[in-house]
Amino acid sequence: MILIISDDNRGNWGPTLEEAMHLSETEIVRFSADALQIKPCAACNSCSGKTFGRCIIQDDMQLLLPKIAVCRSLVLVSPVVFGSVSHHIKKVMDRMAALGDPRYRVKDGEIVKGMSRVGMNYYMVGIGDNLNEAECSAFLHLHQENRKIMSVKGQTFILDSRLNRVSLNNIVQEIIHE
Amino acid sequence: MNKSNIMLICASPRHKGTSAMLLERVQVVTGGKIFFLPQRGSLDELVLAMQKAGTIIISGPCYINTYPARLIELLELASIKGNFSGQKLYGIINGGMPYIHTHQHGLICLKLFAEQNHLSWQGGFVLGIGAMLDGKPLEKHMNRKRIVPAFDKFIRNIVEGVQSPNSLYEEAQPPPGKLTTRIFTKFLTFLVVNNLKKYGHDPEAPNYYLRKQEEDKINGSH
Ligand SMILES: Cc1cc2nc3c(=O)[nH]c(=O)nc-3n(C[C@H](O)[C@H](O)[C@H](O)COP(=O)(O)O)c2cc1C
Repeated sequence: MILIISDDNRGNWGPTLEEAMHLSETEIVRFSADALQIKPCAACNSCSGKTFGRCIIQDDMQLLLPKIAVCRSLVLVSPVVFGSVSHHIKKVMDRMAALGDPRYRVKDGEIVKGMSRVGMNYYMVGIGDNLNEAECSAFLHLHQENRKIMSVKGQTFILDSRLNRVSLNNIVQEIIHE
Repeated sequence: MNKSNIMLICASPRHKGTSAMLLERVQVVTGGKIFFLPQRGSLDELVLAMQKAGTIIISGPCYINTYPARLIELLELASIKGNFSGQKLYGIINGGMPYIHTHQHGLICLKLFAEQNHLSWQGGFVLGIGAMLDGKPLEKHMNRKRIVPAFDKFIRNIVEGVQSPNSLYEEAQPPPGKLTTRIFTKFLTFLVVNNLKKYGHDPEAPNYYLRKQEEDKINGSH
């Protein structure tokens, strides 16, 4: 399953990407994070202790966590906000800690962590018009660090909102053929 | 620096954690009021206070390589409301990992926010191994000999209202060597595994949400 979680507050990128993927043989599931009620992570540490692997905050994140736990590819679609993702998408990312493996390991000489299920692909699609070099490189840097600390494979894409069909199709090809 | 004009924002949901401790260390010297980012409800009042401040210092934890969602929400709202007039902005970010590059995105994000909204970015401080401190004084940091003077120099830069260079925290925190990395990894893993065992959990077990779906499938097929 390919899971798309998008912030469609300032555009319609999630549905557009979903539509562009409709020929894929893989099941596509999509959620608009901005339409869900998701509270911020409270750093209660329950998911790495008492309720290992389970987030105790009862809100719409409980719809997403079982899907993220099984998906082949997770695609986060967000406007680029100060070189980061928007707060709607960041809330999802922070709360995903429940799906992490709390143990540490060494990779390329550095301490990293991983996900509880190995093999998930992790993509990030940033949307923004006339982004400058600093914004783009910050966005790419964030995703690169995410991939490292979560020990996952994946790619980052940056799209202009005037949506060029070719670049959209390239992204779709990369994701569905992984 | 006008002491009455200082605003300190703690972006951690933990009021007695490392972000708060670092901010309190700053506050002792700079004065000003600490605002804990409310985890629910409106952020309007906080934005209003930011607009009125002369110097803003934000301290927060590193969650998945940058600041937590709620701080990004504050920055997004502040950007919509606008009305900034050159407020000086300093940032502090602390994370569990003993590296700078894993947390540095937080400061880059604040810099871009400042540049796009007529605030004046003055630099910041990245602190590694912040989780082990868990709110305890900086003097308990593993690397205290270098960290304490560097952080206190950062505070002096705020007081003097000058730019604080990245080299200050970079030079104080060289990445750990191979042996330390191995020992650190084993030690941290020992701590988390012990904690899980205390609650009767098996660290090797598949994730709760996976298990639950498997169980539901089996029950459903019966
Ligand atoms: C949801 C979540 C995500 C985290 N992600 C990271 C991370 O990517 N890198 C890291 O070094 N530490 C990470 N941490 C650990 C915190 O940054 C660390 O515990 C920090 O010291 C907390 O600061 P505080 O005491 O001010 O809350 C994370 C913690 C939580 C709760």
